[in-house]
Order: sequence, then structure tokens, then C-alpha cells
Amino acid sequence: MGRSPTDLAIFVGKRLLQLVPVLIGITILTFVFTHLSTINPCAQWYPHADPTTRANCEHLFSQPLSTQYWQYLTNLVHGNWGASVEQVAVYPQIAEGLPATLELVLAALFLMIVIGIPLGVIAAQSSGRWPDHLVRIFYLSGWATPTYLGAVIAAIFVAPYFGLPSHGEYSSLVPPFHQYTHMSVVDALIAGNLPWTLDAIEHLILPAATLAFINMGIATRMTRSSMLEVLPLDYVKSARMKGLSEGWVLYKHALRNSLITTTTVLGVTAGGLLAGTVVVEEVFGWPGIGAYAYTAIGGGGAAPNFDGAIAVVAVFAVGVVVANLIADILYGLLDPRVDWR
Amino acid sequence: MSDPVVSVEGLSIDYVIGAGRFRAVSGVTLSVERGHVVGVVGETGCGKSTLAQAIPRLLPEPPATIGEGRILFQGQDLVQVPLWKMPRIRGTGINMIFQEPLNSLNPAFRIYDQLAEAIYIRRVREKSGAVTDPRAAQAYDYSRSQDPTASEALLRPVVPAGAAARVTRRAVERHGDLKPEVLEYLRLVRINDPETILDLYPHELSGGMRQRVMIAMALSEKPTLLIADEPTSALDVTIQAQVLTLMKELIEEVNTSILFISHDLGVIAETADELGVMYAGKLVEFGPVGELFEHPRHPYTKALLRAAPTRYKSQGPLSSIPGSVPNLSHPPSGCRFHPRCPLMKPNCRIAPGPGLETVRGGAANHTSACFYADAVEALP
Ligand SMILES: Nc1ncnc2c1ncn2[C@@H]1O[C@H](COP(=O)(O)OP(=O)(O)OP(=O)(O)O)[C@@H](O)[C@H]1O
Ligand code: SF4
Ligand SMILES: [Mg+2]
Repeated sequence: MGRSPTDLAIFVGKRLLQLVPVLIGITILTFVFTHLSTINPCAQWYPHADPTTRANCEHLFSQPLSTQYWQYLTNLVHGNWGASVEQVAVYPQIAEGLPATLELVLAALFLMIVIGIPLGVIAAQSSGRWPDHLVRIFYLSGWATPTYLGAVIAAIFVAPYFGLPSHGEYSSLVPPFHQYTHMSVVDALIAGNLPWTLDAIEHLILPAATLAFINMGIATRMTRSSMLEVLPLDYVKSARMKGLSEGWVLYKHALRNSLITTTTVLGVTAGGLLAGTVVVEEVFGWPGIGAYAYTAIGGGGAAPNFDGAIAVVAVFAVGVVVANLIADILYGLLDPRVDWR
Repeated sequence: MSDPVVSVEGLSIDYVIGAGRFRAVSGVTLSVERGHVVGVVGETGCGKSTLAQAIPRLLPEPPATIGEGRILFQGQDLVQVPLWKMPRIRGTGINMIFQEPLNSLNPAFRIYDQLAEAIYIRRVREKSGAVTDPRAAQAYDYSRSQDPTASEALLRPVVPAGAAARVTRRAVERHGDLKPEVLEYLRLVRINDPETILDLYPHELSGGMRQRVMIAMALSEKPTLLIADEPTSALDVTIQAQVLTLMKELIEEVNTSILFISHDLGVIAETADELGVMYAGKLVEFGPVGELFEHPRHPYTKALLRAAPTRYKSQGPLSSIPGSVPNLSHPPSGCRFHPRCPLMKPNCRIAPGPGLETVRGGAANHTSACFYADAVEALP
């Protein structure tokens, strides 16, 4: 094993193969739990439907869970992700919602990196003194805020204070236009319209900031502790000895090495960020798969949508695995001593 | 004619750990004349590295605090210089080869980038007039020098990761092609085909190679004062010898002033002009190397020389002297050497103990901190 591109490809291939058992496990779990949560959903789904539809439904649900799961899997392999009761197919919903969610999560991640990491550096540099305590209070309050509460406070109090929009991807001034990617900012850019782009960014700020605020703690804390580990090391001393300014020593020589640990932890936050989108997208009317998941599990009084829920959970699982894979790749790129294993 | 590059005057350094506090360096006075090599020897833990790192203000503060004293370097007292101004003095003014050279290269950057950075700093300072000729006798006003890093450091939080290396490289290359000079310094430390190691990372080099790169890096800034803190102790014996030979040649080629810390008397005998002997945080004797070796005027120096296998021969670190190294948090009263001293008399135990005084019948700069310095010669 070494550090050649082939080694990297083998590493990535192996990790992607691991996705198969993860996906099977995840779909079984969610399948079982959704189907156990409502023993007979047919009454709820078809209160006024004709007897045949109702009977078909009840026949389906009277079969053993294993048969039902097999059926689901067979459909899935044939590209049929199922549909909601209203016969809205799951796949297009996911395909359109996923990019919007991705955009939101990436924006949150961006904020976590450009704010959370420097905060960690500042905290480490002033460890034990007041800036350190301030930073700790800041990220602990983010950590302690329930997602729902944070989102609602942001939408109700923060939005008007800063004059920021708190619903949807664009304001009503932006006419509907073709969405190539279903990422609001990217599509506005593709359309080549600057005001639309700015409008999209404005709409992105609050939901992304909310997600970031709640998940930032781990990035700040990791940066702080790994900086504290790196700062007393000899090479930091020799960087100082070269005559580099403290800023250069900290942000180039020390942070470069402490980022090695921080990136792995950022990969772990992917789970938290994705979970957060369920509530944040619902509160901010963001048309992603988080909000879709919220309705699929019966949020807002909707009829439960088993196929939708399973699909979102599976996509989230893939998201978490891929995020960690990316983190591991970054780890290897940042640390020249690492061999691809 | 006295023309010191650096003079340390009555320097005391404390380490504060929790509620405890001990004085690792007590009232050391020592200066390095221009173009001279000054050796400092002493048993392990006597405060050599603490003294060495205090001069460029590299000690972590806390736990270290400079209790009292002055460090005069080019007309300013470094003890009074605010820490944020120290970077302008480090590098081109004072540079250092560390005791643990193997971990002194940043594991995340290629050899080229690390060396180029040092040369870059020197070039920027040369351009801004902060450094004209490092060996010229004038005092430079470092406080007015253009800090090359200020504007670029602002960029740093935004480009934290791998990009930083590239951004720096680009910034560096605006100041001319650094590669020829990088190669030149690598050749200077006798790395034969330097091209092959430019793109390697430190962990891909052997210990001896890393040590040479460190030396090249320190020299490439053409420092006025170079502090070498046991530059060979982390290497195995054959490589030690090579590196030492190399350092001796370089001292002549580059002509910087050097503070050379070691606990190997053989090494000192071959390289130093003057020698300081430290014991339990204090300087107990100082003087020209030859005179110190021939006519030591402190019982501790005498014991050290006796313990050294063969005089003037490099044969590894000091062997033992009877008695044990004192505990610095409760140092012996009066003369700190008294529990181990063959000449000890009752008054040696009384505080404050002997101070450094010029010895009778020796060189003008030969000093010893012993009440009975004249009796030392008679010791076996
Ligand atoms: N960062 C630190 N915190 C607390 N105590 C320290 C620290 N660094 C050194 N000391 C203590 O200060 C004393 C002097 O240490 P120093 O490293 O200066 O000795 P030295 O003469 O260089 O020894 P050696 O020959 O082993 O390198 C020792 O007792 C050591 O334990
Ligand atoms: S002062 Fe006394 S104890 Fe100290 S070295 Fe001299 S003779 Fe020995
Ligand atoms: Mg030491």
C-alpha cells in the first residue's frame, strides 16, 4: 500500500463496497420500524375508498413482513422507489429535493469551517483566558439548543432583525425559471442573473446559519484541542524561530496539522447536519428531502408515506457514509505520512 | 576589544507549575563576542536549553517566566520587547538549531517549501532594509522592519488547508526564484543531489538528512547569532561526527557567532572559543576554552574534565560525578555545588554563596564562582 492514485482508487472502491451491507441493513431497519409503527395503515389511508382498493391494501399488509420487504426490494432493484398514498412517486421527489438539501448542508458546512475553525484557533491560542471562555459559551449554547427551537427562533426573531427572508429558496419577485440542478444559488448563477443569485443567497443564509450554529461546536472544540496538542511541538517552535509572524505560525504551520484531526470529525458531523435538515427545512420551507422526510413520517398531519421515509433514511445513510469517506480521503491528502489502507 | 553580539546579564528564569515554582536559570551572565563560538556545558537538567530558548524568547510563557535580567541584542533588551515584535528579530537576527532536530521540520510540508520559506523571509527583510549585511557591525532597527507576513497572514484563515502551501509558494516566488538558493544551501550542508529531496516530506528522510536540512534552514537566514542546542545529541555516533565536522566547516564559511550548547566536552574543545560551565541553573565558570581546560578554577569544572574520558577527544557525554544533581525546587543553600564539592568549607553553605569573579592570574574574561578558586588547581 502506498500513496499512488491506484492505491487511492482501491481504497475508495473498498469503502463504497461497504455501502451495500449498510444499505441493506438500513432499509430493513426502517422498513420494520415504519411497518410496526402503524399496524394497519389502510384505514387511515383509504377511509372513503371503494372496498376493492381497501381490500387490496389490507391483503398486502396481512402478508409477513419478510414478504413485504422482499417485494419492496424487488421494486427498488427495478428502479421503482414506491409512491405515497396519493400515488406521488418517491423517486422524483428525492431527485429534486436532494440537491436542495445538499446545497443547504454544504452552506452550513462552509460556515462551520470559516467560523468554527478560526474560533477554535482563537480559543487554543488564548486557552484559559476570556476569549477561550467566550468561544466555549458560544459553541456550547449552539450545542445545547434543540434544533426545532433554534430554527423557530431564527425564523421568528433573527430574520426580521436582520431583514432576512425566512421562507423558501427565492422571494416572489423571482419568476419561476428552469432548475437545472435544483440548487437555488447554482441555478440562479446558471441563469446568469445576479439579483436572483443574491436573492437565493439571502434565502440560504438563515437556514444554513441555524444548522451551522447547532453543529459548529464539534469543529471548534476539535480544532481547539488539536491545536493545543500541536502548539507545543518542536516544529511549531522552529516555525517561530524562522521569524514567521504568529499569525503565519498558527494558521499555516500549526493549523495545517491540527486540521488533520479536525477533518475526520467534520465527516462525523454529516449525520447531525442531515438530521438537522428535517426540522430546519420544514421550518424554513426549504424544498429538500429533509422537509420531505418530515411529511413522509406524518409530520403536519400528512398520511404516513412508508416508501418515502425509507428512501430518505437510505439516502441519509449514503450521505453519512460518503461524507466520512470524503473526510478520510482529505485526511490522507492532508497527512503525507498516511498510506491508503 | 569587546564587541558582543548578545549579552545576557543576570538572567533568571522560573518555571511556574501549579502552585510550585522553581528557578531553572539563576542570574546567568554571559556574552558572545562577534565571530566567536561560545560553548555552554553542564549536566542534564541544569538549564542549558532553558537559557538557549530564552534568548529568542521562545520559551512557553507560561509556564516559564523571565524573573529578572536583560538580554542585550543589537542595542535592545529582548526581555522588554513585546512578544509580538519578536518575529522580526528571530530568523535573520537570532536563529537556532534545536535539541530535538528530528521533529523540528513540519511533517505536512515538503522540504523545498520549508527551506524556501526561510530564504523568503531573509530576502524580504534584505529588500526592506532590515538586514543589509548580517555580519556588519551596525545595530539594525528591527522594530521598523517591514514584517513580510502581516498581509499574507490575513489570508490564512480563509485558505487554511493544502491551499495554504500553494498560496505561500506563490507569494514566495514573487520574490524571485528561490530554488537555486535552496539547492545551494542543501549543497552547503553536503547533501549531494539536493534535487532529489526537494519534493520529499520530512518523514521520508533519515535522521541525519533531516538534521542537515535543519542546519541548512537556520544558516540560510544568515543569522547574526546562531544558537545550537546539542545539535547532534539526537543522532547516532557516526552521523554525529559527520554533522560536527560539517558545523565546524560552516562556522568558518558562514562566519556567524554561535552559542553552542552541549554536554560533550570533546565537541566543545574542538569548536568553541570560550566556554561557560553551568551547574544547577547557575553559571559557575566562564573563560577561554584552552585556559578552562588547562587551568579550571571551579571544582565542578575540574570534576567534569576528570569525568570526560580523554581530554580534547570526542568520546560521548559526561560520565558521572559523585553525588546527585540537585533538585532545583530546593537548591542547596549557599554554593549549590557544596554537597558534592571536595573543597567545601562551612562558609560555602551560607547564602548567598559565591558570585562570579575574575580569577587571579588568568585571562581577563576568565571568571569563576568559587570562594576557593585558587585551590582548585591543587585538586587531584
Ligand atoms: N516546559 C517546562 N516546564 C517545566 N519545567 C521545565 C520545562 N522545560 C524544562 N523544565 C525543567 O527545567 C530544568 C532545566 O531544563 P533544561 O531543558 O533547560 O535542561 P538542559 O540543561 O537543557 O538539560 P538536557 O541536557 O537534558 O537537555 C529541568 O529541571 C527541567 O525539568
Ligand atoms: S564555593 Fe565552596 S562549595 Fe562551592 S565550589 Fe567553591 S569550594 Fe566548593
Ligand atoms: Mg537541553
